[in-house]
Amino acid sequence: MISMLAAPVLARPLRAAAVLDARAIALQGVALMLVFLVPALVLQPIDPRLLNEISVWVKPAKFALSLALHYATLAWAIGLLAPAWRQGDYMRRSFLLSLCAGFFEIAYISLQAARGRASHFNEATTAEMVLYSVMGVGAVILVVQSFDLGRHILKSPRRELDAGVRLGAGLGLTLGSVATLVTAGIMGSGAVPAALGYPEGHWVGGTLSDAGGLPLLGWSTSGGDLRVPHFFSTHIMQMLPLLGWLADRWRPGQARGLVLAGAALLLAVVIATSVQAVLGQPFLRLS
Amino acid sequence: MDWDALFQAASSSALIAWAALILLPRWSVLVRTLRYGLLSALALLYVTLIFGYFFSIDGGGFNSIAEVRALFASDPVLIAGWVHYLAFDLFVGLWIAERADAIGFSRLLQAPILAGTFMFGPLGLLLFHAVLAAGRAGRRAAFQGDHQ
Repeated sequence: MISMLAAPVLARPLRAAAVLDARAIALQGVALMLVFLVPALVLQPIDPRLLNEISVWVKPAKFALSLALHYATLAWAIGLLAPAWRQGDYMRRSFLLSLCAGFFEIAYISLQAARGRASHFNEATTAEMVLYSVMGVGAVILVVQSFDLGRHILKSPRRELDAGVRLGAGLGLTLGSVATLVTAGIMGSGAVPAALGYPEGHWVGGTLSDAGGLPLLGWSTSGGDLRVPHFFSTHIMQMLPLLGWLADRWRPGQARGLVLAGAALLLAVVIATSVQAVLGQPFLRLS
Repeated sequence: MDWDALFQAASSSALIAWAALILLPRWSVLVRTLRYGLLSALALLYVTLIFGYFFSIDGGGFNSIAEVRALFASDPVLIAGWVHYLAFDLFVGLWIAERADAIGFSRLLQAPILAGTFMFGPLGLLLFHAVLAAGRAGRRAAFQGDHQ
């Protein structure tokens, strides 16, 4: 027994982990979001508490899924950059900043759901007022970072990158980020319902409830909903790169034109759904 | 929710894990399944219960016996607390097993230490640290003996 005990005591020296590259950081973002997504999905049929007449867990689930998609997009898009940018400290720091911003968003949204309280538009206590505005800062960091990545893809793509993917990812990330900043900013400011004399929130007229919304998306089916243009804006970041990728495969000669046409179309959808929401019209009216 | 069934399921999974850790060879697939599979499942169960029930309890909190008692009066939060024990005890057990294997501790000696961790968490950890310290002291004593 003593001879066994006489062996070196330390089992495995702790090695400093290699510095993570930007893609690994983005994948960490996906993993973190999945951890928050699971309880938010499991609790929806179990936890009876409601906010705006739907489960308190609907919002955390949507945000976790959406942010997981965002980080997956970043993890993919970083590979389109020239190696000097892809491997540099600048992108690593920028990805880390984005990760921290998204981590804060989902953590606060989940904590508030667990407490049965609203996260957005909740200024009931001093702490909630401060944290709601920190969420605004976090959201701005998320889109400024994805805008910046898109700009770098347009400027410094890796060699032999197909034209459609380059333009689709570059334009998708920049345009999607700007459109998100505008649409989410307008929604968060509360200016539209205020100007029209409606209570603060994402609704513009109609029933002030999230019950009876569209399946999965949850948008109002009785009045305007400012979340619709936010959704279409944000997911330009996935739709346009996908269009570019498809165009490179099937219509390589017209890839750039197709991406530009797609961008114009998506922008038109954002504008149309914005106007629709401001006019108090639902995306789809279900009766 | 059938809280009794959930409690039983969590406890049984931990019991099977401990039996495997104490009795079976340390197959890498087994250790990984326990560490990343079962511990993750227990952690997700814990988080789900806490997210769903912790904040709904009147007078619940961590700052006094009365607050903690209020938490444990709720079945789902009581199960969450129990799962917390199960998960962290098993984590410590895996850590002890890994260290003990690396040092070359006999599985015969590991068994009671791991059983102590399974039943009364900190007791097993204390035993492991005591045996480690004794081993180090014994080794030093042996070296001094060599030089005399």
